[in-house]
Amino acid sequence: MATVIGQDITIEGEITADEAVVVAGTVRGKLSVDGPVTIEAGAVVEADVGASTLSVGGTLTGNVTASERVDLLAGGRLVGDVKAARLTIADGAVFKGNVDMEG
Amino acid sequence: MARDYSATYATKAGSRSASSNSDSNVLGRGIRVRGRLNGASDLRIDGEVEGDVSVGGSLELGEGATINGNVAAKSVVIDGALTGDVQAEGTVTIRANARVSGNMNGAEISLEEGAAFTGRIEADFELPDGLAAGVGPRGVGAEGRRNARGR
Repeated sequence: MATVIGQDITIEGEITADEAVVVAGTVRGKLSVDGPVTIEAGAVVEADVGASTLSVGGTLTGNVTASERVDLLAGGRLVGDVKAARLTIADGAVFKGNVDMEG
Repeated sequence: MARDYSATYATKAGSRSASSNSDSNVLGRGIRVRGRLNGASDLRIDGEVEGDVSVGGSLELGEGATINGNVAAKSVVIDGALTGDVQAEGTVTIRANARVSGNMNGAEISLEEGAAFTGRIEADFELPDGLAAGVGPRGVGAEGRRNARGR
């Protein structure tokens, strides 16, 4: 079963996973996933994130390292540095930070 | 966007449809949390948690779950390994596969055959008048205290 951190859930600490993680709630600390991470609209993540792919529809504050790609969706908000081979920023998204696509 | 996932996992989970609902909170098998976990509704944990867990609804610790920390919820069902105290408003159910070490506190505690349990069980209930009369103030029945295995 995949991991769904629902709207009403708050996790403060370090999360590591080797399966898909969907965040709809609040995560503070560190999120290291060997798989795809989805930050849904309404979710608040204040953490450094490591993932294979990352899709941000909510608010993410922290540095991101993705082995494959990062998609910042419309309505999404990302403040932090991004290190990923591929990055898309949708119209209507907010981004502040540095991008490294060569790492 | 998340709907893509829910569709995939709903089919994967298949027979476990009762708890594979994408709306419910699940910490899957492959996840490990070190820290504090709070929630307002129901939560199912199949992974590993090192830290305290507190939810407003029911908490289910699945068969593969390993929890090291105190747990508070409206009701708790334990099928995995738990080292820590449990505080429940309602029932605490310790299933056959569970390995539990800690003190259980709730309105109702059930311990299934096969479960490994070390600790104290405290259930608040009122004895019928006839029974209560025969038990002293410090009596075992009055506090509803049972010891299963050791301590």
